[in-house]
Order: sequence, then structure tokens, then C-alpha cells
Amino acid sequence: MKKRLPNNCSPEHAAYLLEIDRKERFITIARYLILVGFVVLWEVFARTGVIDPFIGSSPSRIWDTLMRLYANGELFEHIWITLYETVVGFVLGTLFGTLVAILLWWSKTLSRILDPYLVVLNALPKIALGPILIVWFGAGVKSIIVMALLISLVVTIMSVLVGFNEITGEKQLLMRTLGASKLQILTMVVLPASVPTIMSALKISVGMSWVGVIVGEYLVSKAGLGYLIVYGGQVFKLDLVMTSIVVLCVLAAVMYYGVAYLEKKLVLWRTHA
Amino acid sequence: MAHMLVEANDVCLTYHEPTAETRAIEHLSFQINQGEFVAIVGPSGCGKTSVLSLLAGLMEPSEGEIHIYDDKKPGYMLQRDHLLDWRTIEGNIMLGLEVKHMATPENRAYALFLLDTYGLSEFRHHYPRQLSGGMRQKVALIRTLATSPELLLLDEPFSALDYQTRLRVADEIHSILRREGKTAILVTHDISEAISMSDRVLVFSSRPATLKHEHIIRLSGDNSPLGRRNAPEFKDYFDMIWKELDGYEKTSAQ
Repeated sequence: MKKRLPNNCSPEHAAYLLEIDRKERFITIARYLILVGFVVLWEVFARTGVIDPFIGSSPSRIWDTLMRLYANGELFEHIWITLYETVVGFVLGTLFGTLVAILLWWSKTLSRILDPYLVVLNALPKIALGPILIVWFGAGVKSIIVMALLISLVVTIMSVLVGFNEITGEKQLLMRTLGASKLQILTMVVLPASVPTIMSALKISVGMSWVGVIVGEYLVSKAGLGYLIVYGGQVFKLDLVMTSIVVLCVLAAVMYYGVAYLEKKLVLWRTHA
Repeated sequence: MAHMLVEANDVCLTYHEPTAETRAIEHLSFQINQGEFVAIVGPSGCGKTSVLSLLAGLMEPSEGEIHIYDDKKPGYMLQRDHLLDWRTIEGNIMLGLEVKHMATPENRAYALFLLDTYGLSEFRHHYPRQLSGGMRQKVALIRTLATSPELLLLDEPFSALDYQTRLRVADEIHSILRREGKTAILVTHDISEAISMSDRVLVFSSRPATLKHEHIIRLSGDNSPLGRRNAPEFKDYFDMIWKELDGYEKTSAQ
């Protein structure tokens, strides 16, 4: 966090910059302290018997479980399956969602016709469709991907469409005065202007995709982190459940920051001062 | 004798809305010659902008005819610059050329030449966000000029700027349009702006708009908009047009 002070700055300004620096450092340290404190307290409570490690597990037991899963090769097998389902569901949901949003933007009439259906689909808990998906797509990876897709689809459609409709009529008027076709308005103004909205929609739907995959795995799977959680719960191996959740936390965070990084790269013009 | 570029014959326009139909323009006729700078003033909401939309081909008149004797679509300048934030200045001035599939090396070079001529070439790779309001409006003008239209439609292009910038940018844009030998129609509610920039002022009545008065502006002295504001005749034109407009505001208020 050490930044070089600008050459000709007054003592007052230097003090101000140092103060900002100090605050930044405090926030970073506080973040790590919470994590470390939580892990240490958990371990101490488990060892002194304040919490029963059989029900509450403990950091060291989680670590042991992780090592055991890694040693017998299961760890990456489960991670891979869950990650695969999530990424495929997320990407498909985003593509279809954006495509449908484009269609609805293109035709105001279609948008008005379909509006009540979208509202109902949005309100419907997609998990209720689980049994139908299993019958249609089989008890396997396909059903889980469709579940992830469905859960993120409607949210993507709605938030991307809101983004499209926020583009002012005047920008479109400008394009029309230049003689632009509707397709040109879409590709040259509406889509690029909506990149920020689409990216923040993606940040929401990436979380939705995880929900879809884990729920899907609860219902049907024979592998994956969701499967490990359900299995661990059934045979009362809370260590396994906790370990899977920790891995899930890490994966979800990595994917979220991946999308956030992409957002930063794509909307460079926003931050240009 | 300069030849005629724009001709409006007995034009009427009616807007249809679910609750009502509104007559916006009533039997409007006028002609504009090549190279002329014409200002249109009128009470607010009288349908001045509708005339520009008709000229730009964004709408069709309900009755009558409007003709532009030029192959190219007129260039249109709006109140706000509407520069695209994600494109650099260079990308923005090429927008019209790209839309019209005219982005040939020669045309691109011409756009960059305009940017250079009007003192903005150092901002070529900047983003619009980094430019001041006055500079942005000049970039918007260059975007309009890049497709080399003969006729320019200016829809209150200075009204979003603060007063100081507004006078300066009006002066600059006026000289640019003169130098490029363009024909221009300026819609404004600012009487001083109309007199200081144009060869002729058309005064519209309140809605439905029709041509009520026409003034040929002849001012002595310096011919820049800022110079023209100091001409002795300026005040007389101002008073005359102000009284005409004031009359409409009063009748429409009753």
C-alpha cells in the first residue's frame, strides 16, 4: 500500500495522504484478523469442549478431511464436476438471457405480450421444477445444468432488459439522424452502453448459478460438492459437510472476482477521469 | 443568384396520441437558399423542433411537401452532444461515417483534418468524459460535418452550455460553418442568439406553428456573432422580435 508521495506536496497534503494510507492498512488488517480470529476461536472451542467437534467440526478436522480427499483423488473430481456444471449453466443462462432481452428490446409488442409470463416465471421458485427436470433430462449432470440455467435465466433477462431500456431515447434519436438502422442502433449504441449493466447482472447471476447447481446436486447427483454435503449430512459426517462448504466458499469467491475483474477490464472508459 | 436548397410547401403536421390529436404545424411554407444561415424562433412548444424532424426525414408531413435539393441527408445537431462514452474522440467523429458505411481512408482523413483544423487533434485519443462541455459540442459538430452534409439542422445546440461557454462556442461554430460554406437552420428560443448568428430570422406563431414574420438581418460592423451583438441595429431587431413573440405568449396564455 506504500505509495510514493508526489514531489512538491505540502506537509498538510502529505499528512492527508498518509492518513488515507493508514486507513487502508487498517481495513486490510481488520479483514484478515476476523478470519484468523474466527478460525482460532473455533479450534480452541472445539478442543476445550465448548462445542462438540462431532457436530461442529473444527478447522484441524476440516484440514485433515481436505488432505484425505486430496490424497485419494476425490477432491478435484468433485470440484471439477461442480465447477463444470456451474460454468456451463452460468454461460448458457447469460447467453440465452441476453438473447431473449435483445428480442424483447427489439419488439415492444412482444415485450408487452410476454411481460406477465416473465413476472410469474420470476416469482416461481425454480426448485419446484426439480422433479420435472429429472424426468425430462435424467438424474444426472444435464438436469443440474438446466436447473442452474433456469435459476439465472429470468434474472438475467430482466436486469439486462432494464439496462437496454435505460439507454436514452435521445441517443437513439442521434443514431436515427445519422441514418442508422435498428440493428446498427443495437450493435453500436445499446449493446456497448449496456456492458456495465450486463456485467452487474452477471455478478448476481453467477451467485444464482451456484444455488442452482448445489440444489440440483442435492436432488440427483452422484458426485460434486453438493453431493458431498448431502451425503455427509446423511451419514453424520459433519467434517465432510464443513469441508465441502469451505471449498464452495473459495470457489464462489474466485468466480465472483473473476467476473468483477472482467467488468473492470471491459468498462475501462467508465473509470477514465 | 444562389440556388434554392430547401423548400417547404404548405406543410401541416398532426400528432396522434391516445388521448388527443394535436396540430403541430399549420400551412407552413418557406424557402432557404444554399449558403444561408436561417434561425427559427417561436414560443416554447410551438413545433420548431418538429420542423427539423421533418427536414431530417424522421417524420412525414400530414399534408404538404418538404424538399431538400441535395443528395445527402442533412446533418443534425442536438441540444446535448450525446458523444458515446466508450468511444474515443476519434471513434466518435467516425460514427456517422461508420453508420453510412462511408468510413473510407479519404473520409476518415477528412474527419481528422477537421479535428485538427478546429484545434482538437490533441484530444484524438481521449474519452469524451475528459473534455469540457464546449469542446464536446465542437466534437459533436465535427461528427456532423464528417459526412459532408450540405445542410445542417441545429436544434438549440448551445442551450445545455453555461452562458460564457455558450457565447464562445456559438462564435466558433458559426465561423466553422461559414468557412465550410454550409447552409444551416438554427432552432432556438434565444432571440439574441438568433439575430447574432443568422442572415434571416423566421418567427413562428404558437402551436400550431405557422410562419408569422420574417426578418432579413443586416448588421453593420464585424460579422462574428459576438461582434454582431454590438452592432447598433441589433437592439432594434431584438425589440421587434421580442414584441412579436410576446404577443403570442400572451394569446396562448389566455
